[in-house]
Amino acid sequence: MPSPGKRRFFEQGCRVLALAALGTLIWRAWRPPMSGERPVVTRSTASIPSALARATRAPLAALDLTIDSLPGPRDRAWARAVAATGTVVRWRRARDLRPDVDSLHAWAPLATALEPIADPSGRVRLVALGPPGSSLAIGDQAGSVDSTKLSRTGTRTLDAMLDGLVTARIPGGVSSSARRDSLVVRPVLVLADAGWEGKFIVAALEEAGWRVDARFAVAPQVSVRQGRDVPIDTAHYSAVIAVDASVVPRAASIVRFVRDGGGLIVGGAAASLPSLVGILPARGAAAVSPTLGAVVSEEPRRGLDGVELTLARNGALVLDRTAGRVRVAAARVGVGRVLVLGYDDTWRWRMEGGADAPRLHRAWWSAMAASVVRAPLVALEGTPDVDETPFASLVASLGMPDDAPRAARPPLSSTAWEPVLFALVLGALLTEWTSRRFRGAR
Amino acid sequence: MSTFTFATAQYESGDWDSSPLVPANLIDSIARYTEIDVSPSGVIVPLGSDAALRYPLLYLTGHLPVRFTAQEKQVLTRFIERGGLLFVDDHNHDIDGMFHKTVTEELRSVAGPLAKIPNSHPLYSAFFRFEDGPPNTSHELNGWGDNLLHPYLMAAQREGRISVLYSNKDYSSEWNFHPDNKRFYSVDNTRFGVNLVVYALTR
Repeated sequence: MPSPGKRRFFEQGCRVLALAALGTLIWRAWRPPMSGERPVVTRSTASIPSALARATRAPLAALDLTIDSLPGPRDRAWARAVAATGTVVRWRRARDLRPDVDSLHAWAPLATALEPIADPSGRVRLVALGPPGSSLAIGDQAGSVDSTKLSRTGTRTLDAMLDGLVTARIPGGVSSSARRDSLVVRPVLVLADAGWEGKFIVAALEEAGWRVDARFAVAPQVSVRQGRDVPIDTAHYSAVIAVDASVVPRAASIVRFVRDGGGLIVGGAAASLPSLVGILPARGAAAVSPTLGAVVSEEPRRGLDGVELTLARNGALVLDRTAGRVRVAAARVGVGRVLVLGYDDTWRWRMEGGADAPRLHRAWWSAMAASVVRAPLVALEGTPDVDETPFASLVASLGMPDDAPRAARPPLSSTAWEPVLFALVLGALLTEWTSRRFRGAR
Repeated sequence: MSTFTFATAQYESGDWDSSPLVPANLIDSIARYTEIDVSPSGVIVPLGSDAALRYPLLYLTGHLPVRFTAQEKQVLTRFIERGGLLFVDDHNHDIDGMFHKTVTEELRSVAGPLAKIPNSHPLYSAFFRFEDGPPNTSHELNGWGDNLLHPYLMAAQREGRISVLYSNKDYSSEWNFHPDNKRFYSVDNTRFGVNLVVYALTR
């Protein structure tokens, strides 16, 4: 039986051993990475998940990701989480991907955005950015939509019917987008004397899918009405088309409508009406004689009668010219938009023009209406998860390629010594406690 | 701002000019009742010419068999596709007559089948109101032609608008008089012609 003095010495030794093991544990947890530890390296994007899983099971000192295509949002978030635990995560482009192009230029532009447009057929506008000249495949939940190449500026704009999640694929990356908003487009009101121009404007807009109300003045106090008899305000109409002088009795309502945010298209025959002149971006000036035969040419609007416009408002924008003469001008007035046409009798284009004239006339009038309509945005519910800017998100998550290490704090050690040291701490403390109890001390 | 010009279709077969006073009479009525900017004289336009496309309302009538030429069919097809309205009136008001049999066959080939239009159609309320549909003509009431009262008109429609309006009521006889003689009528019998023009210009 050892003497009490020896036992105390033994117990002191156990305490020192426990403290030493505890100190070692703490040191190992917070020590800086050792230069001898080699980082885990991946060879392709496909192998990233397995490397991340390994780093998740047992923290690594460093992870070098070699990327041959842009990783998806799940892998990016995972890598970011691993980096947040202390593992140094770096990434770089696979050398064999596009050796002739810098990695940033190869990938940086890949992004898509989907936005609603004032189109009665429900089309939306997809804008895709990517490497100039790259192949681009666009699809939605219904399947493939378009396959094309990006322009020399690396852009592609597509107006189409797109449903649900829309994807844009280029070699080495995929971006996805979805509509977040919808537009509220109310009917368009056409005001005209009974005549071919008003009739064919209504026909063109209706064929393009617009909801159209119309008032055609036929005789004093007599008009032919199409649609509802409601006030001219932004609660009922998105835009008004004032074809001719028949709008004069309603001019005050129209001015108020525009100042409240409504859109207005003024035909050439109404472009000099004193009651509207205060809100017009341009006024009718000299008459323009049509070019004979031009209505069946590739510039059919040169074959139309009308007036040359002179700009009358700061900020007015010229949208169309023929033979150097301003024929269409637009401007913002208050929160509304006003567009003036220097063309009369556009119906002649539809009736007398070339084989495609009805379609072009319809598209032109639809575009004119779309450019002025008031269409407030309404947020959609249940928008799917999207990945509109995969490259930017990758940089935001992991920094620039081959960037400096972005460890949030020194890494935890990962060897099997921790359990041993922990057992040593427990064993030493238990032995010391047992020894004390056997000799009667507390 | 273009002026409305009443146009009569000139086709190669048959007697297209069997009602020479109808245009002047309808022009007079339009000027009399409405503010529509109407040309004081009508035009005669060959159906086989692109010039027909300058007049989105065409009036066609006759007594004799009608066979459109290939060129006339081609122009008429374009005319209809682009939104024109062809008003065809059977000057015989005889459903057993050759005009009716041949022209309906020709129209079917360019505009599709003709169907009855309801008497509630906007055509009957475009300006004057005709509660009972197309007004009867004195030629129907006198028992000439097929000795029938035709209580409806027929039409081919496109995009919800009438592209071909077909009548067996013989308005071509009813309206074929000098406008000055309207003063002898207690009710102007050309009022439905005004509706036809107003409908064409507004629908």
